[in-house]
Amino acid sequence: MNDKSPVLKATKRDRLGTRYTKRVRKAGGLPAVVYGHGSPPVSITVDAEEVLPHLHKGEKVYRLELAGEQSGQIVLLKELQFDYLGTDIVHADFRRVDLNERVRTRVHVDLQGEAKGLKNAGAILMHPTTELVVECRVTEIPDSIPLDISELDLNGVITAAQVKLPGADMKLITDSHAIIAQIVEQKEEVVAEAAVVATEGGAEPEVIGEKERAEKAAAAAADGKAPAKDAKAAAAPAKAAGGAPAKAAAAPAKDAKAKK
Amino acid sequence: MALMPKRVKFRKEQRRVRPRKATKGNYVAFGDFGLQALEGAWVSGRQLEAGRVAAQHFLKREGKLFIRVFPDKPISKKPLETRMGTGKAEVEYWAARVKPGTLLFEIAGVDETSAKRAMVRAAVKMPVRCRFVRRRVAV
Repeated sequence: MNDKSPVLKATKRDRLGTRYTKRVRKAGGLPAVVYGHGSPPVSITVDAEEVLPHLHKGEKVYRLELAGEQSGQIVLLKELQFDYLGTDIVHADFRRVDLNERVRTRVHVDLQGEAKGLKNAGAILMHPTTELVVECRVTEIPDSIPLDISELDLNGVITAAQVKLPGADMKLITDSHAIIAQIVEQKEEVVAEAAVVATEGGAEPEVIGEKERAEKAAAAAADGKAPAKDAKAAAAPAKAAGGAPAKAAAAPAKDAKAKK
Repeated sequence: MALMPKRVKFRKEQRRVRPRKATKGNYVAFGDFGLQALEGAWVSGRQLEAGRVAAQHFLKREGKLFIRVFPDKPISKKPLETRMGTGKAEVEYWAARVKPGTLLFEIAGVDETSAKRAMVRAAVKMPVRCRFVRRRVAV
């Protein structure tokens, strides 16, 4: 892995912050940070044109040539930050590692073969978990984990525990019950049914606490003492139902006063 | 029927300012492909339902469609030829707040060509410019 891993030429970034980072990107650089192994974190700039093809290819281990630092430092890609559209990579995190160190990393699961359950009408292949977190040596990080699904039948499930890891001392960190591949029968118009259920109660949703308030106000009115606040709450549902608002109900009383 | 919440805490809501960019819900999380909004808007429940029907009708019984946004914002509107005042108007429709970058729909279990064609049909029903996106690379 060490011989194959790409070399990144980096320079230190002295001026930090949004404004200077934007200038770095405009000049064709990619802002990044290197940390780990007890040394302080260093903000660096790598050439975007040089590193982006490797990042898009899925390379994880790099050799960093940083002026003033240990030459040929092995680093592991830990995180990528994307812009709001998810198109451009705007920042990268690298962690200093040793070649024999055991590290945790995400590896893509490559589904191979055509599942026999897919021959049934309405059957679809779901893969809720597409990446596995594994712990292994830096030199043994695989590009992807192949998984043969040709024997997967309808309603069959392959969990993370059933995936055969390529390395002997590779350890699975992802929850062993996580579903990697599953063949389910598609139910017709599930969302439409849910929508109908959602709107069955009427054109308006239930307002939390309104019913209780109305009941309280009604009880208070029956007792002969109607507090103004409760009366207003009781009038609200009537208004929503298209009835006359509380003001209209109060109008005759005003008229009677005027006549006197 | 258009989507709307079952229960709400308040009947009406203020309009509020639409923030610029999506910082969450802006990547394919459940399916393999998705439809991403490139502009901000209030997408009504009716528009979402139209998009869902258009995509699902094209897919027939293949694949699984996910709707990534939910119309939980009540939008009120005064009737035509009404004088100003006399309080806030009644709720006209329910809308989802969509920012540039928000994923509107996702599809799983179909090939890319079919997913693209289904998403194009859904995009036509949306009030914003959209684009077809795939899953991001694993890091």
